[in-house]
Amino acid sequence: MTKKIQITLNGKKTSVEVQAHRLLLDLLRDEIGLTGTKEGCGTGDCGACTVLLNGKPVNSCLILSGELDGAEIVTIEGLKIGPELHPVQKAFIQDGGAQCGYCTPGMLMMSKALLEENPNPTEEDIRFALSGNLCRCTGYAKIVQAVQDAAVELRRMKTEG
Amino acid sequence: MEQLTIVGKPVTRVDAEEKVTGEAVYGYDLVLPKMLYGKTVFSARPHAKITRINTEKARRYPGVVAVITGADAPWTHGESIKDKPFLAQGKVRYIGEPVAAVAAEDEDAAQAAAALVEVEYEDLPAYFSPEDACKPGAVAIHEDFAGYRKADFIVSGPMPNVCEHFKLRTGDVERGWKEADLVLAERYSVPTIQHAAMEPHSAHAQVDPESGRVTIWVANDAPFRALHEIAEALGVANEKIRLINPLQGGGFGSKGGLKVEPIAVALAYHTKGRPVRVKFNRQETFISTLVRHECIVEIKSGVKKDGTLVARQMALYWGGGAYAEKSPTVCIRGSLPAPGPYRIPHVKVDGYAVYTNKPVSGAFRGYGIPQGAWACEQHMDEIAKRLGMDAVDLRLKNIFVDGDLAYWGEQLHSVGLKETLIKATQAIEWGKKQPGARPTVKRGKGFACISKPTRTPTMSRAGVLVNGKGEISVLAGTVEIGQGCSTILSQVAAEELKVPLERIRMAPLDTDVIPFDASTTSSRSTYHMGNAVRRAAIDVREKLAEMACPMLEAKKPDLAFADGKVFLKDQPQMALPIGEVVRRKLGNEGIVRGDGSYTYEIGKDLDLETGHSDHASAFYMYATQAAEVEVDEETGRVRLLRMAAAHDVGMAINPLNCAGQIEGGLAMGIGSALHEHLVVDDQGRVRNPSFLDYHLATSLDVPKLIPIIVECAEPEGPYGAKGLGEPGLAPTPAAIGNAVADALGMRIYDLPLSPERVYWEIQQKKKKTAA
Repeated sequence: MTKKIQITLNGKKTSVEVQAHRLLLDLLRDEIGLTGTKEGCGTGDCGACTVLLNGKPVNSCLILSGELDGAEIVTIEGLKIGPELHPVQKAFIQDGGAQCGYCTPGMLMMSKALLEENPNPTEEDIRFALSGNLCRCTGYAKIVQAVQDAAVELRRMKTEG
Repeated sequence: MEQLTIVGKPVTRVDAEEKVTGEAVYGYDLVLPKMLYGKTVFSARPHAKITRINTEKARRYPGVVAVITGADAPWTHGESIKDKPFLAQGKVRYIGEPVAAVAAEDEDAAQAAAALVEVEYEDLPAYFSPEDACKPGAVAIHEDFAGYRKADFIVSGPMPNVCEHFKLRTGDVERGWKEADLVLAERYSVPTIQHAAMEPHSAHAQVDPESGRVTIWVANDAPFRALHEIAEALGVANEKIRLINPLQGGGFGSKGGLKVEPIAVALAYHTKGRPVRVKFNRQETFISTLVRHECIVEIKSGVKKDGTLVARQMALYWGGGAYAEKSPTVCIRGSLPAPGPYRIPHVKVDGYAVYTNKPVSGAFRGYGIPQGAWACEQHMDEIAKRLGMDAVDLRLKNIFVDGDLAYWGEQLHSVGLKETLIKATQAIEWGKKQPGARPTVKRGKGFACISKPTRTPTMSRAGVLVNGKGEISVLAGTVEIGQGCSTILSQVAAEELKVPLERIRMAPLDTDVIPFDASTTSSRSTYHMGNAVRRAAIDVREKLAEMACPMLEAKKPDLAFADGKVFLKDQPQMALPIGEVVRRKLGNEGIVRGDGSYTYEIGKDLDLETGHSDHASAFYMYATQAAEVEVDEETGRVRLLRMAAAHDVGMAINPLNCAGQIEGGLAMGIGSALHEHLVVDDQGRVRNPSFLDYHLATSLDVPKLIPIIVECAEPEGPYGAKGLGEPGLAPTPAAIGNAVADALGMRIYDLPLSPERVYWEIQQKKKKTAA
């Protein structure tokens, strides 16, 4: 069954024809062509497909397209602030938070969500927030470091307005 | 020594930006024009004859373009034993074996049609452990084994289903037992685990109907080997195959050899020139790609009172799964150094790679070293305990140092092992005892040492191009699998040409244009391809210098390079940007190319009777890891408090990347120590093919990691570098196992050290003590 829905995708209002039973992950990757959101398991266990849905991080492989009318969605392609990389993206580059990079988009979206909710997280907070995002390459050390560094930078940006 | 400008610096990855923006395109992301969607039908039986396949219903399903079975793809492949069909040929040998495949206009149609393929079976006896499969009288899983084409080094038997028997014979262990004051025999085991790279497997293939040329898009870690294996199987010249390598979302050994490729190629012959994509989902990746060898290790040692090792005998039973894949070489390269990085005069090792009716085992980061180390390094601690010796002192007494003749007949050099042992144990304050948080929570410390060879001999070739803008392209067949090779190789090229890193681009990997490379495996790339790129960069630099001579009115020896320019050593103001040199000589669109090649050719293959070689490996990697743990006796839970990992990397080309490799290896090692076990039941079914049930280490399972880089230069390596990719996980389970034994005062011989296992082992010990 196809259905026409209105969504705001990475800040841009769009109208898309969706097959109601297809997943948000498939809508993004196959229909719209935004392949930055990764498919790691398709069953909500790995976090690679994390996007922000109405401001909250979700596994896009667990969301049906048919439910999305009126939704606001932010994917990795919408993480930049204007032309500038988001501080969390910069920190992942600086600290070596990405290796193969396949979990990275999901990690970044989850990190962004965490830092919006908790601008001053402890290491424990970060590890807890990212515990649903699997990474097989990095051992998480440099990812956790990157989120800590991004938190500092975001706080600095906020103070300096 | 020459001043290095960029080698040795912790520069950030050259591929980081495309990865943090989502712009990086992986194999799983790839969409081709007019592409069809493939779906595989997998065997439902572990060992059975196929009595009937009915594809009629599937063919009639709307949108279906092709349905194929083994009859349509009568091809067989294999790296050292040609035993594996593209699609099952009349029988199946494990649950998950590809039996048939469908190509359709969309994913849903392919899936629906695949479900309509009917397969009928007649069951045969099946074996789910290497010990059962090689018992006298066991039925042959490969009844035609004798007729298979095999590599020269394959020695099969003597027991049933043994596809490789590796022998190491040094001295006389019988004499050793007599000379020893203590003889200890033990048995350890390691279960099947999986690579679980975050990107599942996929392949795209297209056959040109006119020329018959096959193009395959696949994130394979050894494109040239895959190309050759496909060509050989199809019976066509290598030139008829082209392989394009998109970015790879992790592999760890699982994406070498042929996995999804044969299915995609077989389908592509039936789609009238349209490309077909075959993707495995996570469950399919778990059951039908590759796993790490389960291994049973028997180990017996003779030792003097003062701790001097006299003799060691080992038997290793490697569970190979249904097809040989890389089992023979894992068996050889994993069994050879299994007695540990120690001087031992009398050594006898028998390694057996055994077919079973389980998913196929093959290369896994560490290539057999973790299994041997799990046994050997805990066994060393048990010896120390019985001798009343400190475990570090026992190692120091026997450990490999420069100039030692290893028990496989090779004189060792550049051995940084002792320094890794000292630094790793210091980092966790070895010798300092601390009580647990509660009386039922026990603390312990442990460590483990390893050495690891690399695949030898192998070849790498590279090209380096400089254009009129002074931009540089590196042509290298090393696959960026996340390990950071693109950054390391860029650093090497930038160093030799004295240009900023931003000027370097890694050319896309297409076997039509990229020079040959053996494989991105075995921690070989920094060393082999690093040397090849370095030579290619020097070659192009020499050409640029030659071209610049008349322009600067100088002789070649008077010229030097810095900051992207060539200049007169005495008059640095007499300088030309390298791009300008190219333009002046060859015009605006000119390109100068340098080529380089590196093969480690010294030495000879292992002797088949003794396992000896005077150069078994181009270089060796050494490491010691140390762990501190807390074990809750009431729950069996092992909590890691800290882990230190000291690795002899030769000279570090990029310390940031080295630390990343060590930390990543540790996390994988921790997963394999505490959680990971791909469970196959007594019907041959994988019971936990999902990330919900197969527990990878999460951010909460990994403690504070202390990576320590030990630099012991390798004279043949580029800038003194060795390799590093694999050893990160090799000693980890043994280090944790030793820490758990220290905490509990009892040994656990089988992995993983899951709460259930630890709890029940404690209960059993209590029962025994009470009795």
